[in-house]
Amino acid sequence: MPRPDLLLPSIVLLPFAAAALALLLGRRAGGRTGILMVLAAAASFAQALALAVAGWGGAPPVSVTQPWIPSLGVGFALQGDPFGLFFALLVSGIGLLVGVYALAYMPDVGPSRLAQFYAALLAFMGSMLGIALAADLILLFVFWELTSITSFILIGFWYDQDEARHGALTALLVTALGGLAMLAGFLILGLSSGTFSLARLTASPDALARLADSGLLTPALVLILIGALTKSAQWPFHFWLPGAMVAPTPVSTYLHAATMVKAGVFLLGRLLPLFGDAAAWSAVLVPVGLFTFLLGAFQALREHDLKAILARTTVSALGLFTMIYGLRLPGQDALQILSHAAYKGPLFLVAGIVEHATHTRDLRRLGGLRRAMPLTFAVCLVAALSMAGLPPFLGFLAKEALYEALLHLGGAAGALVLGLAVLANAMLFAAVLRLAGGIFLGPPAATVEHAHEASPGLLLPPAVLAGVAAVLGLGAPLAEGLARGFSSAPGHPLHLSLVPAHPGPLLLSLATVALGLLILAGQRALQGPGRLPGMQAVWDRGLDVVVRAAVAFSARWQSGSVRWYFSGTLAFAAGLCILALYGTGLSVLQVPVSLAEMQWYGLALCAMLSASAVMVVRSTTRIGAAIALTSNGFLTALLFVVYRSPDILLTQILIESVSTLFILLVLYFMPPFRPDGFTAFGRLVNLAISLAVGVVMFVFILLATSPALRETRNLAADYLTRSLAEAGGANAVNVIIVDFRAIDTNGEITVLVLVALLVYGLLRARRAA
Amino acid sequence: MSSGDTPILRTVARFAVPATIWVSVVIFFQGHNLPGGGFIAGVMAAAAGAMYLLAFGTRRAARVRWWKVAVVGLLISVTTGTVPFLLGRTYMDHEIWHFHLPVVGEYELPTATFFDLGVYLIVLGTLMTIFVELSQERL
Repeated sequence: MPRPDLLLPSIVLLPFAAAALALLLGRRAGGRTGILMVLAAAASFAQALALAVAGWGGAPPVSVTQPWIPSLGVGFALQGDPFGLFFALLVSGIGLLVGVYALAYMPDVGPSRLAQFYAALLAFMGSMLGIALAADLILLFVFWELTSITSFILIGFWYDQDEARHGALTALLVTALGGLAMLAGFLILGLSSGTFSLARLTASPDALARLADSGLLTPALVLILIGALTKSAQWPFHFWLPGAMVAPTPVSTYLHAATMVKAGVFLLGRLLPLFGDAAAWSAVLVPVGLFTFLLGAFQALREHDLKAILARTTVSALGLFTMIYGLRLPGQDALQILSHAAYKGPLFLVAGIVEHATHTRDLRRLGGLRRAMPLTFAVCLVAALSMAGLPPFLGFLAKEALYEALLHLGGAAGALVLGLAVLANAMLFAAVLRLAGGIFLGPPAATVEHAHEASPGLLLPPAVLAGVAAVLGLGAPLAEGLARGFSSAPGHPLHLSLVPAHPGPLLLSLATVALGLLILAGQRALQGPGRLPGMQAVWDRGLDVVVRAAVAFSARWQSGSVRWYFSGTLAFAAGLCILALYGTGLSVLQVPVSLAEMQWYGLALCAMLSASAVMVVRSTTRIGAAIALTSNGFLTALLFVVYRSPDILLTQILIESVSTLFILLVLYFMPPFRPDGFTAFGRLVNLAISLAVGVVMFVFILLATSPALRETRNLAADYLTRSLAEAGGANAVNVIIVDFRAIDTNGEITVLVLVALLVYGLLRARRAA
Repeated sequence: MSSGDTPILRTVARFAVPATIWVSVVIFFQGHNLPGGGFIAGVMAAAAGAMYLLAFGTRRAARVRWWKVAVVGLLISVTTGTVPFLLGRTYMDHEIWHFHLPVVGEYELPTATFFDLGVYLIVLGTLMTIFVELSQERL
């Protein structure tokens, strides 16, 4: 490979290109765009694998940096360190399997909708790969938010269902809010340390020392942790994940079991070297992680929906990962994440197969499916046993390694963590056996009558993942090598073996199994009716308050009355000007005013202008006011003739003509003109605003044209000299518009085009209705 | 609005509309050095359009999808800004091209002219959209 670093952008950007292609081909190709998902995932996986193999064993990681916003020190920087590549392999590998599964699974809902689905899935995969490989905090944030947006689209796939919209919106709001908190944290971190580059932050301890000195370390850390914890569905933000289960099963598997929810955990792994020593790190992560670990496992026992059970156990597992980082045991991370992906992925996919075959996901209506679907049963059994932590599967190795590490904590706190971990694992053990047993064992339920074995496309992906759990379980040395090499902290001790070296972990495993069997036997007692008001209800009520406040605010301040808007805008502008005049201490008294140079025609014009202005106000019909207004405008144009300002003169005449046309066009549709419709107070307010605006503008113009001020800094002369020299134009006004302030103009013309589109759309729609 | 059935306006418009458009083009091109420019020229062209609309009726003026003119203008303007950016300079960084033309001789063309052309089309397209749509309104 001549330039291995170029593989990094290729890994990340290829899925986005495929997403664009999927949208383009959409109408013709339809569901076949899923092949693009499979191909792009395979390509990204192969490239990530090539990088991982090339860098195996501690070679310095490849990286690539392209300036992006150099003035802010933000770069398009990617790096291929082992932990990032591990995550990229996970994302693209499971993306490949989910793509194959989706091809067989997705119902035919019309070609463009399917193409949009695959495009969103591809863009999601690209964003996840971006998170895995980003070496710049801002870049990471951009990909982070992209996963929130694409997952919103994916969760809301059945957008015609109320539940799907609600679940998608909740997921988006919770994770996007967390993302914003995280951005604030990143900004504090980057601005106080002087760099957004992860590598440079890790390499320079004094950057963080500077942050600690400023007292902003804890706020920055807490803000970033909010981002990580919302994404990884940690208590009290855990509620969005079960709600997101309304997504099609491939999406649930991909986003909510294997990849996206692990992004928060992944971020913790990235940040541990930075913040590991901060007091808030363990103080937040250990209690939150441990509580979520327990809560998720407990709630899983009370659910009846297959996907809800799996979602709760996923929340639980994410709690475990969070706790591991909180305890500063990063040597465990790759092992635990891989083990979880290898059992939770197939369990989700099997849940999808079962729903496909029986049209239900309710555990109470399922049973005895082993005869009709023996292969699915076998796959599910392997995955379930791995999740239960039984030998000889990967889950067993992971649980033993966890107990081994927790045993070394020591102290009363360590013992408490260990005890609660055993309890949580026992509940997970019971939950998964209840799930697998409830589907496949026992007498056949009515729903399984017509069930038959799943097609190869549905069966292969979960079988591959379950195969990973089995192979790595049996090949403990291989698992150990992978888990060590891919960990975010490769130096940490980790020993995996089916034959334990010490009796401690094995005894704890036995205790887990025994406790788990007890819970399984007594689980009916847990199904009691009483449910605590969940965080979901709290969230919904809070959201309701926000919406009602917004509606009340809009009804009061956005009444739709143009006169109200004008009054508000003008009063605000005049007030601001008065403040500015007051603040700078400028006064009209500083300007020597003399009417000696005023010619008679100037005075005459002013008198006519004033007269026409009075006519506008005194007019009793709209057409009269319009005529007076127009005459006022043309008299103003005459003023520009007198004072030799041809450019503005031209503009004034043209604008005056066109606005007269406008007035004539809309006059017909205006409501009846009622000049007497004001109260006395309303008239006074109008008078006050008009006076304020008039006086302020008068003072401003007087000050702007006074010689005393012109000498301090003459903007006009400045522009006039630069205009020809730098922009090749003698007409300074136009040069300012198209060159010096072109970006401002750019914004203005964009607004103009939007106005055109809106007028077209609104009036057309109204006429059509 | 009633389609114009005044012969006087029609007769005048037959000459005035092309003349106004011609003046707007002149004003557009002299804009960099003399009074004028894309904005004013666009307004003037729209005034010509309004005259056409009043004289010959809305239906003929509505044959053009004026909002598309505005969108094309925006594309032109943004492209002139983006090209220097893609070439590694700042966004909206204009330069001046010099040509040796056979008859005219030395001719300068600032790239800002393309940006100005976009402004011209946007102003024309937007104003005409509003004119045409409003004049088709019925109470």
